[in-house]
Amino acid sequence: MRGRGAVSFVPWATVAWLFAVGIYGVITSRHYVHLIGCLTVIQSATYIALLSVGYRFGSVAPIFYTRPPSTPAVDPVLQALVLTDIVVGATVTALLLALTLQVHKKRGTVNPERLRPMRQ
Amino acid sequence: MTRKARLLVAVLCALVSAPAIAVVIMHIPAFGRHPLPYGDAINHTAGAQRHVTNMVSAVNFDYRAFDTLGEELMLVAAVTGTLVLLRGRRGESLSDRAAQAGNRPVCERSEAVTLACRFFLPLITTFGIYVILHAQLTPGGGFQGGAIVASGTLLLYLGESYRLWRRLVRSRLLDMLEAAGALVLVLCGLGPMARGGAFLQNVLQLGQTGALLSGGLILVENAGVALAVTAGFILLLLEFLEETRATCEGEGP
Amino acid sequence: MIAPATDVLAPLPVAVPLLVGTLLLLVGKVLPGRLPDALAILAALAVVTIDARLAAHTTGGPLVYWMGHWQPRGEVTLGIGLVINEAEAILAAFMALLFAATFIFAWGYFEDIRALFHVLMLIFLAAMQGFCLTHDLFNLFVWFEVMSVTAFALTAYRLEADPLEGALNFTVTNTIGSFLILGGIALAYSLAGLLDFGALARSLAQHADDPVAVGAFCMIAAGLLIKGAAIPFHFWLADAHAVAPSPVSVIFSGAMVPLALFGLGKIYWDVFETVPPVQLLMRTLVLGLGVTTAIVGGVACLRQRHLKRLLAFSTISHGGILLIGLALPGPVSLAGVLAYFIGHGLVKGALFMVAGVLLATAGGIDELWLRGRGRPVWPAGVAMAVAGSLLGGAPLGLMDSGSRLIGAAAAARGEDWILIAVVLGTACTGGAVLRGAGRIFLGLGEIVGEEARGPSEDESEKPARPLWLMMLPVIVLLIIAIGAGLPHADETMLGAAARFLAWDRIASIGPIGPATAAAVPAPSHPFVPWLTLGLAILIAAHELGHAWLPRSWSRTSRRVLSGPVFTAIDRAHDGVVGDYVVWILIGLALFSVSSAAALHAG
Repeated sequence: MRGRGAVSFVPWATVAWLFAVGIYGVITSRHYVHLIGCLTVIQSATYIALLSVGYRFGSVAPIFYTRPPSTPAVDPVLQALVLTDIVVGATVTALLLALTLQVHKKRGTVNPERLRPMRQ
Repeated sequence: MTRKARLLVAVLCALVSAPAIAVVIMHIPAFGRHPLPYGDAINHTAGAQRHVTNMVSAVNFDYRAFDTLGEELMLVAAVTGTLVLLRGRRGESLSDRAAQAGNRPVCERSEAVTLACRFFLPLITTFGIYVILHAQLTPGGGFQGGAIVASGTLLLYLGESYRLWRRLVRSRLLDMLEAAGALVLVLCGLGPMARGGAFLQNVLQLGQTGALLSGGLILVENAGVALAVTAGFILLLLEFLEETRATCEGEGP
Repeated sequence: MIAPATDVLAPLPVAVPLLVGTLLLLVGKVLPGRLPDALAILAALAVVTIDARLAAHTTGGPLVYWMGHWQPRGEVTLGIGLVINEAEAILAAFMALLFAATFIFAWGYFEDIRALFHVLMLIFLAAMQGFCLTHDLFNLFVWFEVMSVTAFALTAYRLEADPLEGALNFTVTNTIGSFLILGGIALAYSLAGLLDFGALARSLAQHADDPVAVGAFCMIAAGLLIKGAAIPFHFWLADAHAVAPSPVSVIFSGAMVPLALFGLGKIYWDVFETVPPVQLLMRTLVLGLGVTTAIVGGVACLRQRHLKRLLAFSTISHGGILLIGLALPGPVSLAGVLAYFIGHGLVKGALFMVAGVLLATAGGIDELWLRGRGRPVWPAGVAMAVAGSLLGGAPLGLMDSGSRLIGAAAAARGEDWILIAVVLGTACTGGAVLRGAGRIFLGLGEIVGEEARGPSEDESEKPARPLWLMMLPVIVLLIIAIGAGLPHADETMLGAAARFLAWDRIASIGPIGPATAAAVPAPSHPFVPWLTLGLAILIAAHELGHAWLPRSWSRTSRRVLSGPVFTAIDRAHDGVVGDYVVWILIGLALFSVSSAAALHAG
């Protein structure tokens, strides 16, 4: 252990919890739009994981418009990574929703358990 | 597997993995006290090197601009893919009548909604443009501002009619704007190479820290990204809204 | 020393397809006729030349290129670097070649969406180049994601119910894989604070026994293995390949899936090799997964009647063999991986094109329904037979080079038993393809009553292209697969592998030393290729010759084949996305248990 308080576990426990909840939703989903929402929940887990790695106590945001550049700030690289992550999430969600729309038109259902390609 | 079986297996897997996950969490460096060499190096030097005050934009559009290039092209690919998926079946013909689901009535817009939308649309658009233009100074940038402006245009549909929305928001123009935005970013990479620099090297005048025109190539890349993101998101909204319209006579769903 | 003129070429394999792609997106609608097709072919060929030039120039030393000219400052790498070694350049050149062949094959295929197919494919090509050449962990993820998104969009192109469902399964499982990779990046960054491979490796070497490093590797590996279709993460592949348009399946099987596996190797050698528990994981868990995948993929392959699904399972099986090669240490097995990657990609690409030819001319893809209907397109039959023999272990060409080198590496470590998995997987997949060729083009193997019952809806693809245009890329690919194996292929691959292992990790941060290539090893068991080929032919003959076998034998074999294990394999691939996600969880649990064991053993 590295001499930390209990607060250290909270972000990572949250990450694990969000991942678990999202996966539970994906596995037991009965509606594809709900499944896509659960994927968004799993994505939030990755945001929290990345952002909590970059955080520092007593630091400000890495914007030095009104502050001198030597003020301790959090890690801007991780914030840029999370920005990319958000764009990834938005685009994949759009694709998934379009696919769901078309499947609904073709099959009349959006229940994942009834959508099986290549029924043998 | 049935739902119950799936859940059972998943719970078993979670129990089996729990010790390993716990061990990893216990060994992660303490929260709030990480060594961040990369972040510190950028925080301390980017201001002087690139005359910007928003370090996140500096990372996005300068230090790690290659990532942003990939991200931008992924957005373009996803929007293109969605267009292929949605337009492909429907064709390019437009309809004005709202589709009806079962016996649900199609409501008329209330005047309060129209007034609120007319009030907020210019505000939101101005704010979005402000966020785009101040990418290198204050929190924001092309992605964020583009998303704001794109969502703002939805107020056109909410407050006015679908016909006005389609008249003002033209898909041909938006297709070209999106492609142009991506092209700007690619040229920002190849352009410096023509002058003997590296790919995506910041070779423009850097300007004065704190001024609106500072940061050199960061501004151009930001503009390209803003253009592509705005156009891309509005295209997505357009296509999804079009799906709510009734199909023309003779066309199957 | 690399000539400065070649320096300039480094970002071009990524930039050129992106430039042409965005230009096509901008003006594609107004371009006449087939001009977008021609531009796409030219762009792909340009990338092949650039990559070939880079490969030729990096035999003396790797090319390190920093994007935006951000040189490292002290120990901290500020920008994103590309490190190009001969091995990576060769693979990148091969992938671009496959794209060029696909563009020729798809000439006139995508009528309705005009240039949009080419835009998506060019972005796909650029992403693969970026994935192959990059030296930064998050940049690797970005190009991985670009590859995924374009793949998702291309799979559902046909907009029938089956492609849409296949695309949904593909997207959901692979998106979970992306999230796992992001989690792994977060863990790695929390230890090291840097993203460049070399800097990460140096930092992780100081945390050699840290569970967080092992955890980061596990998550990144799981995400890449989902894309690389290793058991138990492979379920999406059969659905997606079977329904994607044939030109797209060529790229999926020929390049995308093996590239994800090579990415795992790259991550291991460039970042995590300095962590001993991860070394142990690679030699045991990943090796075991490779062996299982090779065998199960081969067995499942035999049970398919949908031609593209059959080929998809064959890709899974050969991916398992690639994984075996990656898990074995040393330059010999890496050289084998390189040769196998290229050889398999060429042959599998040719086979998917043959499937496309059958769809376009005969109008179906079910093997039993197609019995005898391939006779009008007999050149495709010749190609399929040749490809099937190459797939089944025939002792010539690049695939044979690859399996020979991997076999020699396994034998050198005393792990000859691995060869059994390679033989089984190869024989099963080769046998399945030969069986298909015999049935479709020679009309053998009639099964009364089964032929009307196909597993999927009516499929056909546009017959708008002449046969010679569709067969041209097939023939070219097969000739390269056989011919490129002849002069000095082994030495080239061994040299490239040795240089990659010596230079790739440290090229971005420190001075590099000399790299000596290993000598070409003598084949450990020279009879193995003949054994595999013989077994493949035997399997094909057995399946086709039911009518001539004694009745009791057919009855026993039918009873064995409907036994519990085989039906379990069939039922597991049921197409329900929730089940696939549960299998991913099982795989993750496997990784957790193995890492715990590896940490204890260390």
